[in-house]
Amino acid sequence: MDELILELKHEIIKALNLEEISPADIGDDDPLFGDGLGLDSIDALELIVLMEKNYGVKLTDPSQGRDIFRSVRIMAEYIQAHRTK
Amino acid sequence: MLTIKKYSYISPQHAYPLPPHLKAAMAGGIDMGKLYRSLAIDYPKFFKMDTLSKLGFLAAELLTAGEEKGEAEAMNDRSVVCFNKSASLEADIAYSKTIQKENFFPSPSLFVYTLPSIVTGEIAIRHKLRGETSFYVSPEWNAELLVDTVRQIFAAGASQSVIAAWIECEPDSFEAFMMLIGNYAEGLPLSAENANELISDFRIHNIF
Amino acid sequence: MISWIGDSIVSPSGFTSAENYEAAKARRSAIAPHAGDGLAEPYHAAVINKEALAAAFEQRCGSPAGLTPLEQAAILSVAQATEGTGINPASPKVLFVFSSTKGNIHLLDAEADSYDRNKLYLWHTASLIARRFGNPNEPVVVSNACISGACAQIAAMRMIEAGRYEWAVVTGADMASRFVVSGFQSLKALADGQCRPFDANRAGLNLGEAAATIIYGKAKGKAESAKSISLRAGSIRNDANHISGPSRTAEGAFLALNDILKHADKKDIAFVCSHGTATPYNDRMETIALQRAGLDRIPTNSLKGSFGHTLGAAGTLESIISKWALTEGLALGTCGFEEPAQDCALPVAAHNIASGGSCFVKMLSGFGGSNAALLFAKSEED
Repeated sequence: MDELILELKHEIIKALNLEEISPADIGDDDPLFGDGLGLDSIDALELIVLMEKNYGVKLTDPSQGRDIFRSVRIMAEYIQAHRTK
Repeated sequence: MLTIKKYSYISPQHAYPLPPHLKAAMAGGIDMGKLYRSLAIDYPKFFKMDTLSKLGFLAAELLTAGEEKGEAEAMNDRSVVCFNKSASLEADIAYSKTIQKENFFPSPSLFVYTLPSIVTGEIAIRHKLRGETSFYVSPEWNAELLVDTVRQIFAAGASQSVIAAWIECEPDSFEAFMMLIGNYAEGLPLSAENANELISDFRIHNIF
Repeated sequence: MISWIGDSIVSPSGFTSAENYEAAKARRSAIAPHAGDGLAEPYHAAVINKEALAAAFEQRCGSPAGLTPLEQAAILSVAQATEGTGINPASPKVLFVFSSTKGNIHLLDAEADSYDRNKLYLWHTASLIARRFGNPNEPVVVSNACISGACAQIAAMRMIEAGRYEWAVVTGADMASRFVVSGFQSLKALADGQCRPFDANRAGLNLGEAAATIIYGKAKGKAESAKSISLRAGSIRNDANHISGPSRTAEGAFLALNDILKHADKKDIAFVCSHGTATPYNDRMETIALQRAGLDRIPTNSLKGSFGHTLGAAGTLESIISKWALTEGLALGTCGFEEPAQDCALPVAAHNIASGGSCFVKMLSGFGGSNAALLFAKSEED
């Protein structure tokens, strides 16, 4: 799980062009949205693409993202349970 | 009388005006990420922008550097009007790579930049400008069209000041020439001749 | 102020303004399901039948060979709009203004060497249209997201008022290419079925294809303007808030409305033709703008349920339909609207209603935080 969490942090930074953020800046349990990383609704949609492209996890309802993107750990757990690649 | 109060210019070779302490750092050529960092701006959204928006963003930073915050607030009806040849073609190509039939993962964050006018929105957001934002496309730099368009914004009473720019990105090159225009006591009188002369100074005579 | 001289719409609802107006008046929708070949999922959109378009083009303008559907639709609409106006489009006193968000972007999907790369440039498309009619001037090309069609009309008004030209041929055109459909799908902005503007169950927009042309001329003297309509005022304002989400306070849309209301008495406004894309955010934002501008007791409609969102053509197409409605003394009903939404407390016209006002307002909003408002009015003697 720790490995997947770290891998996800790298992928999030790359996909969302978080140029000045390093994996160490993202706490495993920190909320991804809200103040911290300054992400917006387009970033949330881009994370949905990331999950599908890299792990074959397809969200049918984009509002599911609200629960899944609460933290990197929750996101990793969801991917672990649903990944097809 | 309408005047061109200030202007800025960015190309792969040059950026103007640069604070003296940055001139040496930029002597080897203009990398937009490097220029952003050297200006010590805290605006992480910069890295999410497409090249056209980054270019417009930086040109507007150079143009308005040193402008009093108070003055900017009094100018919240300031307009941003940009012109170029290729619209958002570079962003279009980047997005189209995400919709290849064999590798189909359309990117929403690339798609939102497939409109040239987004750069005018990015500048408006950064500087809190609630004037007119418009984007026009023409086969080449056209000072007459630009000056006509700007004059008509003032004639319509839409704004007290206008940021007007030629801002073009191609795969191997980019160019932004941006002017701040208004009823100022200083600056060059607004005319197509003066606009042509200014851009030629940068393009041909390499005056920096 | 400039005078309305002629118009024409080419859309899936018909290839003339009259057919399109009758479709809107009957609340007929051209929005239909499409399989979504080469996309992740099917979608609903208002798509032009390309064979029918080519046939109509051939009949009116000659061979469509070498012309893209967008170019055919645009040229056909210009040919029809100028017909009978007595205006010679080849005159140097005529300016062509073209608005489009994506032009021939579908060509990016094709093999790179199978088409003229110049066709990807909007100025090339505009130039091709103007040259077709023998016009010698460089066309003005506006690409200002979804408000492009309003900006093109404002540009025409300013150029004519400044005395640069006597007439303007203003054309908006866009197609629902795979590029655009996939993009809106990625933004989760498309409705599952037909869109429902201002409805409690609205859940997204439909894209639409169209070309729509309006011919404008210098404001006429009072004597000859008895029955004409003019574009009296237009304003463009930015939210300065977010590039893809509208302002929660509807800042730009409110400011644009506020600007044009300086040129009208609210009691004369027959209706407001909103942008009304049927996304939850847009319709809520427009409601706030209309409330702030004091226009929330005037019938409001949206034409998106009939035509879909025609992007760069929306400004001209929806102005034309609204102009025909004003002339007939109607505020058209909103196709797709059934149940009022709590967050859109507006008198949304569900069905066509008789309206005696002499003006209408056209609103548009788009990505980049841009907003536009136009004010159209019957001549003062009416």
